[in-house]
Amino acid sequence: MKKVLLQTDKLSKSFSSGGNLQHVLKNIDLQLYAGDFTVIMGASGAGKSTLLYALSGMDTPTLGTITFGEKNISDLNSDRLAMFRREHCGFVFQQIYLIDGMSVMDNVLAAGLLVNKDKKSLVRRAEELFQAVGISGETQKKFPTQISGGEAQRVGIVRALINEPQILFADEPTGALNSKTGADVLDTLTAFNEQGQSVVMVTHDMRSARRGNRILYLKDGAILGECDLGKYVHDDRARHEKLSKFLNEMGW
Amino acid sequence: MVTIFILVFLAALMLNLWLMLSMDYHRNFERYHDRLHAQHVTLVVDDDSEEMHDFLTRELGKNQQTNEFDLGDALNMPGSFLYNGGEMNHDFVISEKEEALSRSIGRVEITEEGEGKSGVYLPLLYQSEDIRIGKTIDITIAGNKIPYKVCGFFNSIMVGSHNCAMTEIILTDDKYQELAKLEYAQNATMCCVRIHDKMESQNYEAWLKDALSGRYPDARILSNTYLLVRQSRYVAASICSGIISMMAFLVLLIALVVISSNIMNYIAENMKNLGSLKAIGYISRQLVNSLMLQFLGFSLLAAVVGTGGSYMMFPYVNAMLASQTGIPYQTRFLPLPLLLTFAVLCGAVAVVVCLSSRRMKRVEPMVALRQGIQTHNFKRNHIPLAKSRVPLNAALALKTTFSGMKQNIIIGITMLVLSLVVVFSGVLIENMLVDSEPMVNLIVGETSDSCINVNLGKEEEFCEEMDKDARVENYYIYHYENVIHEGGLELLAMMCDDFSKTSNQDVVFEGRAPKFDNEIVIAAKYAKEQGLDIGDEMSIIAGGNEEKYMISGFTQISNQLGKDCLLTREGYERIGELQNVSYYLNFRDNVDIDKFNEEVKEMFGNEVNATINARATVKSGVSVYISIMTIIVTGILIMSVIVIAFVLYLLVRTMLNRKKQEYGILKAFGFTTRQLVLQTALSFMPAVVLSTVVGIAGNCAIINPLIALFLSGVGVVKCSFAIPVGLITVSGAGLVLLAFAIACLLSVRIKKIVPKELLSGD
Repeated sequence: MKKVLLQTDKLSKSFSSGGNLQHVLKNIDLQLYAGDFTVIMGASGAGKSTLLYALSGMDTPTLGTITFGEKNISDLNSDRLAMFRREHCGFVFQQIYLIDGMSVMDNVLAAGLLVNKDKKSLVRRAEELFQAVGISGETQKKFPTQISGGEAQRVGIVRALINEPQILFADEPTGALNSKTGADVLDTLTAFNEQGQSVVMVTHDMRSARRGNRILYLKDGAILGECDLGKYVHDDRARHEKLSKFLNEMGW
Repeated sequence: MVTIFILVFLAALMLNLWLMLSMDYHRNFERYHDRLHAQHVTLVVDDDSEEMHDFLTRELGKNQQTNEFDLGDALNMPGSFLYNGGEMNHDFVISEKEEALSRSIGRVEITEEGEGKSGVYLPLLYQSEDIRIGKTIDITIAGNKIPYKVCGFFNSIMVGSHNCAMTEIILTDDKYQELAKLEYAQNATMCCVRIHDKMESQNYEAWLKDALSGRYPDARILSNTYLLVRQSRYVAASICSGIISMMAFLVLLIALVVISSNIMNYIAENMKNLGSLKAIGYISRQLVNSLMLQFLGFSLLAAVVGTGGSYMMFPYVNAMLASQTGIPYQTRFLPLPLLLTFAVLCGAVAVVVCLSSRRMKRVEPMVALRQGIQTHNFKRNHIPLAKSRVPLNAALALKTTFSGMKQNIIIGITMLVLSLVVVFSGVLIENMLVDSEPMVNLIVGETSDSCINVNLGKEEEFCEEMDKDARVENYYIYHYENVIHEGGLELLAMMCDDFSKTSNQDVVFEGRAPKFDNEIVIAAKYAKEQGLDIGDEMSIIAGGNEEKYMISGFTQISNQLGKDCLLTREGYERIGELQNVSYYLNFRDNVDIDKFNEEVKEMFGNEVNATINARATVKSGVSVYISIMTIIVTGILIMSVIVIAFVLYLLVRTMLNRKKQEYGILKAFGFTTRQLVLQTALSFMPAVVLSTVVGIAGNCAIINPLIALFLSGVGVVKCSFAIPVGLITVSGAGLVLLAFAIACLLSVRIKKIVPKELLSGD
């Protein structure tokens, strides 16, 4: 029996646009499990990112609840949500969003020092993570504009993991990278997932989606279907076909 | 742009106000002088005989400078009345109403009058809650209190204020005749002379008094000149004008720094657009011109509104200053100050736009298109978090501080300017509002509790009585007489039997007070004008006698606007004979000065010529300056708050725009709004604290020379005002806290930045 990390109950999100109310998420009931690599797919406008905002506490739902462990986070104010995010969530963005004015190491420590006041242990963890993603000590001293896109995204992953989050949210993490660099980043995410890190990733890309063990397909603000791919194995053709078939059924 | 508009608006308002004050307000004196066909030299002598009239007519006719003159009858007696809560002492020139109105030279004009047909008309300056038409006031004339009903007020340009060496009051015919018949009434001749070159009025006055005292050595003479009165009636206006000009240029400087920063930010943020425009064929000059047009148009609009504001404000400034000038002023449209204001503002803005947009010329289209914004200099990682010992929020704030040198420079300049305002206000508050004695000591020189003038025959007896009286703490001679510097001007001589007894030992700021009968101390301003130095000899004339004196020091007291000197009593008696002598008395605590003076009058009768409650007189005279300074200090402090608020508004807004994404990233990773607000506000603090500390320390060092410069017009060359270190430190700390609070308040907009905007859309 998998442990439920986060669950939603009739999660809805609406926006007012030009006087019309748009229902972007409609009564979503969902459970995210510890250790899973959950991938959220869907066509443009299906509500993938909106669902990610809501699940990660970046946004509040219009209706319904989101429960993290025993805690209802849907009613928290913005500062409480920030505190929730710093303690429980990590984020990897498509555009990476490292802070230009800080060195690579400082980008990571700025997030880490929010939670862990023990600077020595924090620096040690950062260095371990950097080593794990292949970022050298020299690169750690550089500024974001002085490193490559692939390196930057791996730094982004280290930053997201520095506080040992219970869930790592990734929003199109390979969207701004070439295929080789993108594969490296996915390898990194997969490696961390294999070590027990829960990951929720939004993607358009089927090759990226293959890394997940659980695929959710969103259409018009509702979960249309779900596919269990099982543990990721590199170059597993059957797994690829299963995903293709699922996506075909979903009308992708 | 709102910040720039308001700063240029404030600069235009004050610049135009200053130009109106300096270019036209003073000319108001000339206008009234011409309108009332006023004299350039006034001389009142205690003798109305035919012989005196003949002598004056003959002598005036001899001088080529004499254009026309008028000899009239008047009464001349010392006196006082209550004004501004204190006793105002004057040398009264009392005229009959019709005589004063029909004088061919120096006539007066009634500005307001009531129904009363019998009573007194007073100079316009004294119109107040306590002195108004229909009210009966007590006027003490030659020691006798006489009630008079106030019938009206008048404007007299040369003798309409206690700043004119004499004050004219007008009585209706019945009251004049009544007074003239009294035993103590002193008839006098009032001589009003217009000369060809009014700038020679002081030399002419010296010549006339010399001639008169040569023929009538015992005559009591009062006199003033066009130059003296013009300057003395506008002392407050000059100080106010100086302060406004200083503030105008400081605000303009801040506005220019803000404009420059705005342009540089614009270039940095629009590098790609500028590159695109250049790529399609726009040349640098066209791009600079578009900026020039934008900033000039905007500044001109702000300047138009600002100069409009100065016209709305001018009546209030006028009302404030009229309490010192006593001359009515009608606000009117003044094109020259307006054009000058526009020219200075637009010229300064144009230069700054040109200089700040130079970088635009160096933008290469392809480089700009590739690079876009280069906001950081990556030469050094300031405050590395792994090694830093400061808390996280402070460390991130310091990183922002080190990455924003332009921001630090703007803050630095602003805080340096505002720290000057703090120091200036602190010194004014300490030396004028809290305790006015330092300012009084600087301008007036010596003050005491009471001043009593006693005839020479009773001097010994008077001193014996003072020695016996337990209420008297100390007393000494402090007597004023006019003397003439041979080849120079008339000087007001202050004589003392022993200058070491005086309360104010700072009267002589260079050299030492006269000790021997051949020594003299002169006003530094006059010494500079005449090319005299300590150790030089100068000839002094009084009562037709002339003697040489050696200059032993310089003073800067300003009773005669820098035409002052100090002599020992023996020194004066080498040339002049005293008829009476004034003593300054200081009392022990809780002595009723008025009661003491009354007792002395009763004891000595007519042998005492005047008893003055000097404490009340000074209080009354200083109260006008105190109220003007209170308004000025309040005004500049309010403006400081406005300036700091707007400069920080601009900087915070720029920072929020520039770092919007960074704030979003930090929020996504769990930084709260409160932490980011704190970081933002703290990032300004190093520059704020450093420039405030440097500014306050530096300005404390220069404030005395700076104030001396402001007061140089009244003869002050050196100031040694106490600098209230405690008050200034607290004010500086207050300024820093205010900056922090404003930065925090303005940064609350960070709350609106939401991290979800960073995520890619669906």
